[in-house]
Amino acid sequence: MAEKTYLSEIHEIRVDENNPLFDKTGLLYKEFPSDYRQIRYFTLLIVQSAPLEIKEINLLEQQISEVIKNAVKHGNQCKPEKKVRVWYSFDSTHAHLIVQDEGDGFKDLEKWNDFNRKRLEILSEQDFEKLADFVSFRTLKSDDNDGGNALFAALEYWNGGFVFNNKRNAVAMLKKFPQKKHAIA
Amino acid sequence: MELKIRKSGDNYIIDVNGEMDLYNSYKLKELVMKMLEKKVEHFIINLENVDYIDSSGIGALIYICSTIKKMNFRLIITNIHGSVKKVIELTKLMGYFPITNSIEEAIQQMDD
Repeated sequence: MAEKTYLSEIHEIRVDENNPLFDKTGLLYKEFPSDYRQIRYFTLLIVQSAPLEIKEINLLEQQISEVIKNAVKHGNQCKPEKKVRVWYSFDSTHAHLIVQDEGDGFKDLEKWNDFNRKRLEILSEQDFEKLADFVSFRTLKSDDNDGGNALFAALEYWNGGFVFNNKRNAVAMLKKFPQKKHAIA
Repeated sequence: MELKIRKSGDNYIIDVNGEMDLYNSYKLKELVMKMLEKKVEHFIINLENVDYIDSSGIGALIYICSTIKKMNFRLIITNIHGSVKKVIELTKLMGYFPITNSIEEAIQQMDD
């Protein structure tokens, strides 16, 4: 029973093009060239439309920046002629984004899920020595500047879903912000 | 990002000022590697003045931590707060990194 509960808590990256998170109705839109030097600037252009009530705006900015970085670097290989397209909407209750690149798609998705499953098992065992091998997901294309940990945090942060399209070159995500509970007079 | 080194007994404290992002996190990694070459063995990384960290910054801390552990030297990361703490929590690395709440606590642990 305990095992069942634990497994149900394991988050996975899913491919689900029909997920409602891919509905672009009513979303704002921006597109950018794949310029690595401007990733944080592009992110700010998007985040500036988020309402001030959102707490931890730094964290929201960081999480969006990671997804745009993946699109620019791993998707579009930093080729400036390739665009990153972003659809987004923010209010005090949620942040919803779709980020699409022109690359071949996240081919290592299954490997990543396997790696993450093992990582979570090791974490639940509190085996920090073994964890050393599971703190960073590396592929043959990884370089020294790739932390290899962005998607671990992304799956935790985007609590309303984090799903890829069939081609795996677009990811849709939703963050639901906690609401203040109003006291009853 | 600005890095300053100060010494307290055998411990070298690195004060990090600014953002640890995809453009500059490598600088901390390079500094620690140079210090290791110069036979420094006890490191305290002070993140009091860091309000933003991304996966490259976390990656740099992982690299530094695993290198120092492999060499059997000592590292403590201190004064993590705000979104930096949140990102480390989201990545589930709070138990992996040796962390203290203050420099004083870090020095005390080093000396124990």
